[in-house]
Amino acid sequence: MSESADANEVCLLDDDVSVLNSMRFLLLAEGFKVRAFSNPEEFLAHAGNNHVAVLVTDVWMDRVTGLEVLARLCAISPNTKVIVITAREDAAARATATAIGPVAFFIKPFDDERFIAAVRGALA
Amino acid sequence: MSSDEHDEQLNLLQTITMEVAAAGDIGSALEIVLRRVCEKTNWALGQAWLPNKQKTLLECGPVWLCGGPELADFRATSEKNQFPPGIGLPGRVWEAKAPAWIEDVREDPNFPRFAAARALGLKAAVGIPILSGDQVIAVIEFFMREPRNENEQLVKVIAAVAAQLDLVMERKFAAAELSRTNEILHSILSDMGDAVVVADKDGSFVVFNPAAERMFGQGATQTSPAEWPQRYGLYLPDKVTPFPANQLPLTRSLRGEEVNDAEMYVRNAKVPQGLWIRITGRPLRGPSGEVLGGVIVCRDITAIKEEEFFRAGQSQVLEMIAADKPLPEVLNSLVLLMEGQAEGLRCSILTLSRDGQHVHHGAAPSLPEVYVKAVNGLSIGPRNGSCGTAMYTRKPVVVTDVMTSPLWADYRKLAEICGLSACWSTPIVSAQGDVLGSFAMYREEKRGPRPEEERLTSIATHIAGIAIERQRQQEALREREERISLAAESADLAFWSLYLDNNTVWMSEKGRAIYGFDPDAHLTCDSILSRVHPDERAKIKAEYDSACSIHGKFESEHRLLLPYGKVRWVIMRGRCIKDEAGKIIETIGVTVDISSQKQADLHLQVEREEMAHRNRVSLMGEMTASFAHELNQPLTAIANNASAARRFIERGNIDPALLQELLQALIADSRRAGDVIQGIRSLVRKDTSVHTHVNLNSVIEETVRLVSTDILSRESVVTTELDPQLPQVDAALVQIQQILLNLIMNALDASEGLKPSERRIVISTRSDKGDVAEVTVRDFGIGLPTDRPDKIFDHFFSTKQKGMGMGLTIVRSIVEAHGGTITAENAPDRGARIVVRLPAARGEFAKSKAAA
Repeated sequence: MSESADANEVCLLDDDVSVLNSMRFLLLAEGFKVRAFSNPEEFLAHAGNNHVAVLVTDVWMDRVTGLEVLARLCAISPNTKVIVITAREDAAARATATAIGPVAFFIKPFDDERFIAAVRGALA
Repeated sequence: MSSDEHDEQLNLLQTITMEVAAAGDIGSALEIVLRRVCEKTNWALGQAWLPNKQKTLLECGPVWLCGGPELADFRATSEKNQFPPGIGLPGRVWEAKAPAWIEDVREDPNFPRFAAARALGLKAAVGIPILSGDQVIAVIEFFMREPRNENEQLVKVIAAVAAQLDLVMERKFAAAELSRTNEILHSILSDMGDAVVVADKDGSFVVFNPAAERMFGQGATQTSPAEWPQRYGLYLPDKVTPFPANQLPLTRSLRGEEVNDAEMYVRNAKVPQGLWIRITGRPLRGPSGEVLGGVIVCRDITAIKEEEFFRAGQSQVLEMIAADKPLPEVLNSLVLLMEGQAEGLRCSILTLSRDGQHVHHGAAPSLPEVYVKAVNGLSIGPRNGSCGTAMYTRKPVVVTDVMTSPLWADYRKLAEICGLSACWSTPIVSAQGDVLGSFAMYREEKRGPRPEEERLTSIATHIAGIAIERQRQQEALREREERISLAAESADLAFWSLYLDNNTVWMSEKGRAIYGFDPDAHLTCDSILSRVHPDERAKIKAEYDSACSIHGKFESEHRLLLPYGKVRWVIMRGRCIKDEAGKIIETIGVTVDISSQKQADLHLQVEREEMAHRNRVSLMGEMTASFAHELNQPLTAIANNASAARRFIERGNIDPALLQELLQALIADSRRAGDVIQGIRSLVRKDTSVHTHVNLNSVIEETVRLVSTDILSRESVVTTELDPQLPQVDAALVQIQQILLNLIMNALDASEGLKPSERRIVISTRSDKGDVAEVTVRDFGIGLPTDRPDKIFDHFFSTKQKGMGMGLTIVRSIVEAHGGTITAENAPDRGARIVVRLPAARGEFAKSKAAA
């Protein structure tokens, strides 16, 4: 296990680097430990070797969709708590995500307090 | 010689000189000389010899003198003899032009009358020449009965006497000559046709020959020149103004002037019909040049003048025809002209109707109205009066008495009322041989036409034929023009002709309406040019000139600017007509008003732009996912970063470098959001016409990125295969994006029914030979209608539920506006392939070649 195998660490996955960074800053400001990924494969590789307590992920990404990532994560790390963020309200996506079982579902742009509360809740 | 003898001889000389001077003629003068010389100087016989007419022989003259009857034999002998020069005594004197003395003729070898002289006892003889200048005009000879030596003194006296005779003879000859000349002159003056009038310097008539008496109605009168015009009825050529006395040719010649060919009109009681004379005048001058009088010679030119007037009259009628005066007016003038050529002549012209069956009144100014009305509309036929018959038989008809002619059976009463007796009618025939009408002459006497009247008829029918034929041609032309004009007007075509030699323009009514000219305004080439819009005028004129000179024809689409600012669009087409030398003499053509078409075009253009805009707006609606995503990303980042910054600050442990980073991110994301909005605005903007050099590969990547969220949300994949050698195109960027968006959205729609794994779209580019950039959008969907794949470009064609069916139509119009083409086809395995080909921007071809 690497030094990052922290039970309080929050993983972020978004192919949009600026959004990814902004979430990282937000969580850092609240004192969370954060690990950011812009590449789903890198994250999945990380999740395969480390315990990931919480994952905040975007739904729409270039190479693989967030839902695909969740499906695979479910197989590697079924206990990881997932918070889904999407730029677009989409009933089908929501249903799929819900079926997989995220702890929270946010539509961009989202309320910062509720987001932080959700992350905090997931870590608890 | 004794002094007595001398005195006697002087006495003789004196006597003879006086007597000869008093003699009446040459004969009596000769007789006096011969008698006196015989008496006073004792000669027995004297006789005279005169040269014959040919001046080859001397003949014995009629005058002789002899001493007694016994000498008559010698005279008879002499009369039988004729002497050539040098022969006998007279011949010798004639040849020598000098006196000759014979002492005794019996001993003279050159005396042919020797026998007669001896028989009569004549012995001495003398011959004396009578000279006039150098010419011997007579020889006189004397004989005596005794021989005698030459007496020089006597010869001198006789020669002196003979010289007196010479003077007399010369004078007498001159007088005889003068009298003969006078006789000849008189006879000439009496018999000549020209009038000769001579006046002395005081204006008294000296000569007034019979012709002058006839011409002026009377002979010489005791009148002063000032009275002549009134006395003799002399007028200026206007026939009414009395000839000014001081300008009369005779008056002028008395002033020393020469007058040539002055014309004068003479009319007086004796010459009531009037006559025309042409006058030549000359002054008569004395030896020192002083004017003694004047002479005029006058010639009667009435016949020439009348023919001249008649011809002028004909010319006038022909001019009327050429000027297209109304036919009745022309025919009336013609009839009046003919009637003026003969006393008591009345004429009429009838025209034949187009059906060739009925006569119409043409002209009959001297016939009663009732006659004209009765004749108008009658049929032609074999017994239909002179005219109806002439037109029917196509031959002249001469009726000398209408009261007895069977042709006039139906019209006798009419003729009687009108006082007509003879009527001769001749058909008027066209150059093609068609009967056009008839010309008739009427007289109150019962007779046939005279040669002069036949001549008038042939002239009249000829001119009338020209007039009627011309009028018919004009009518036909007018009808044709009306038909063409009607056709043109219903086709909204304006016809015109430009006549370059006199710079005039003919234009149909419709044309005048199009160009805004009054129906009767006089038009020139410049009037037409003045209507061309000022912005185009110089260009159109230059194009017109060069097109006409090079191609002989002209076509141009341009604007007109009419009065009050109205603008019209027209197409003008013209063709040049050249003469044999190749010079343009006329341009004919048509002008079409295409204003409404132009307006429709402009309207369509606006509509097309409007539709394209609507298409873009509707595309945006379809791209909401992408736009939402594109905007939400930066907005989310901004919100997060701002929130983070606030939280760091609240906690009081902000690292300035971190804050710096946050603010930097805020700025970048705001810009990013702004760019997205900018992109949306550019797509929604109406004016998209700005062209730049566009790299299609970049635009494709940009556009795919723009719609990537929608692609993802529709679980589709768009891949690109881009040719790095693709040339740039000259295009409006937004319009190219619009093409691509439409094609991508269509392909996404077409893929909808497929399994997600099959929802593939391939966008490829290819440089076709470097001069064209080709973009292919390929899907694997349901494909296109197999019967006509390109139906998808039609208006309102749609295979989709929600689409308007406008997208591809707009795509095609954009492509075509860029000079490109678009085709649609079904791919071999499945799905559709839309291929857009746009021409490479200028210079791009060479660049791509070089790169290749």
